[in-house]
Amino acid sequence: MFELTATPIDPADRARRLAAPEAGAAVIFEGRVRNHHLGQPVTHLEYEAFDALAQAEGEAIITETEQLYTGTHVHCVHRTGSLQIGEVAIWIGVASAHRAAGFAACRHVIEEIKRRLPVWKKEHHPDVAAEWVNCTTEAATNLTLSAYHTRHASLPEVGAAGQAKLTAARVLVVGVGGLGCPAALYLTGAGIGQLTLVDGGHVELSNLHRQLLFTLAEVGAPKVLAAAARLRLQHPAIEIKTHQGDLTATNARALVAGHDVVLDCTDNFTSRFILHDACQALGLPLISAAVHRFEGTLDVFQRGTGGCLHCLWAGRTASELEPQENCAGGPVFGPAVGVLGVMQAAETLKLILGLAGASAQQTRLVNLLDGSALTIERLARPDCPVCRRLDQLPAPATAQPSERETIWINDAQLAALGPTAKIIFLLEPGEMAPSTGRSNFLAIPAHDLAALREFVATGPVALSCRHGLRSAALARLLRAEGGPEIYALKAAPDQS
Amino acid sequence: MAETPLQLQIRFFAVLREQAGCSILKLATTARTPAELYAELQKSHALTFPANLLRVSVNERYGEMQTPLTTGDRIVFIPPVAGG
Ligand SMILES: [Zn+2]
Repeated sequence: MFELTATPIDPADRARRLAAPEAGAAVIFEGRVRNHHLGQPVTHLEYEAFDALAQAEGEAIITETEQLYTGTHVHCVHRTGSLQIGEVAIWIGVASAHRAAGFAACRHVIEEIKRRLPVWKKEHHPDVAAEWVNCTTEAATNLTLSAYHTRHASLPEVGAAGQAKLTAARVLVVGVGGLGCPAALYLTGAGIGQLTLVDGGHVELSNLHRQLLFTLAEVGAPKVLAAAARLRLQHPAIEIKTHQGDLTATNARALVAGHDVVLDCTDNFTSRFILHDACQALGLPLISAAVHRFEGTLDVFQRGTGGCLHCLWAGRTASELEPQENCAGGPVFGPAVGVLGVMQAAETLKLILGLAGASAQQTRLVNLLDGSALTIERLARPDCPVCRRLDQLPAPATAQPSERETIWINDAQLAALGPTAKIIFLLEPGEMAPSTGRSNFLAIPAHDLAALREFVATGPVALSCRHGLRSAALARLLRAEGGPEIYALKAAPDQS
Repeated sequence: MAETPLQLQIRFFAVLREQAGCSILKLATTARTPAELYAELQKSHALTFPANLLRVSVNERYGEMQTPLTTGDRIVFIPPVAGG
């Protein structure tokens, strides 16, 4: 249950309503207004929520949390309006059968609220003019100022320029199991800008010994959701995308597109061949690992360098190669997948940074029983039909960061979208529409989502508003609904 | 006239290591190719893994099961591995 309220929250009353006979645990979080922020004294503050959107997003967070932590029941109330120091701004109560899931769910709700809820706050300081601040933007940017990456960026091989490359990189991890968990964790710590996780499975008790992103509280939850929640705690500024489903021949290319490096953390040859072929077709490097009990292999496949996966197995098919004993129940030495997954993360970082590493012409064999590691040279087969076909394709183009999809647009870029492109100004309650004299300029109430969706369907739209906050938040949300031609205007339209 | 035996170093990986019961083996053999060598080892070490699904490395480079061997070669037999 999610609720926005303009009246004071009574915690005792809320706690009474949370009681349930089947719940052995009740975990409660209260977020209160404090008298300081970033070193500035605060006298009071105001919260403003974008009602329809905040309600929908709040409900989505609750639903997702109850799905993630089975057996939990979540109540959440968020205040709007003017609040004094010490007042409860947000109240979260979780009733659950067991304490572990209760604590985890409660933490998850507040983290997701801070990250996603379209809420603005205005802090009043004694000496400084108050400004509206988007709470989600604030949550994401506080960290970039910190010393998070200094010990990494101070390596001469990384440096500020290397760290910037990592921040701009988009990495796909297919399979969030024994390999994917450590790989994703180290990529997150390194500050990879965007991480996409693909896995259709659920957290299982018998996998926790090597899938260390998960705890008992997440057993039964979709792995990608549990992993994303854990990784966001590690580094809140990283954009983590999830695909809750298996990689298939149908969706592989679409999933792989838009990334810079791909990690094969799958546990079967069928998925490995599909992923490999999609990466080769799009010209993306694939860092592939696999483990049998105490031993593992690591291969980097890059189109045009060394042999491909078909060269390696010389035409043998995935079903021929599929071992009798696979990951779905077979014995696995936890540290073996840990070491190989971390090696995959290391190869990924080295590729992005342009450091010499495992070249795309080698297989690494690692044995954790005797501690040995062996490097084997892997060459292309002159008769490999896959390599020969790929050689005839034009060299893959790598998208520059500036060409990537952006939410912000300026007047000139908007004009370039054609004569049907419109500017829609979002009116806050009681606000008058600015007069611009422009024919493509419309103003509609910010809460009228139905009207907005209609306009988005008619052609390119750039949203604008007084603070430039709602327009960006709303553009992102509508784009997530499937409206690709929606942007936020960089500057407020000229007033005549 | 009997052929001179080749002195080889053999390394087993994954399921083959488990079946062979050791990682490294040094032996003298009359086998002249990895295929002949593997057939010999299947008998002496009770290896059941099918030869046609193996990759072989000769002196840290992938080779073929018919690649001629010379004395002192380092051989690794590598079965497919897929767990994660
Ligand atoms: Zn090939």
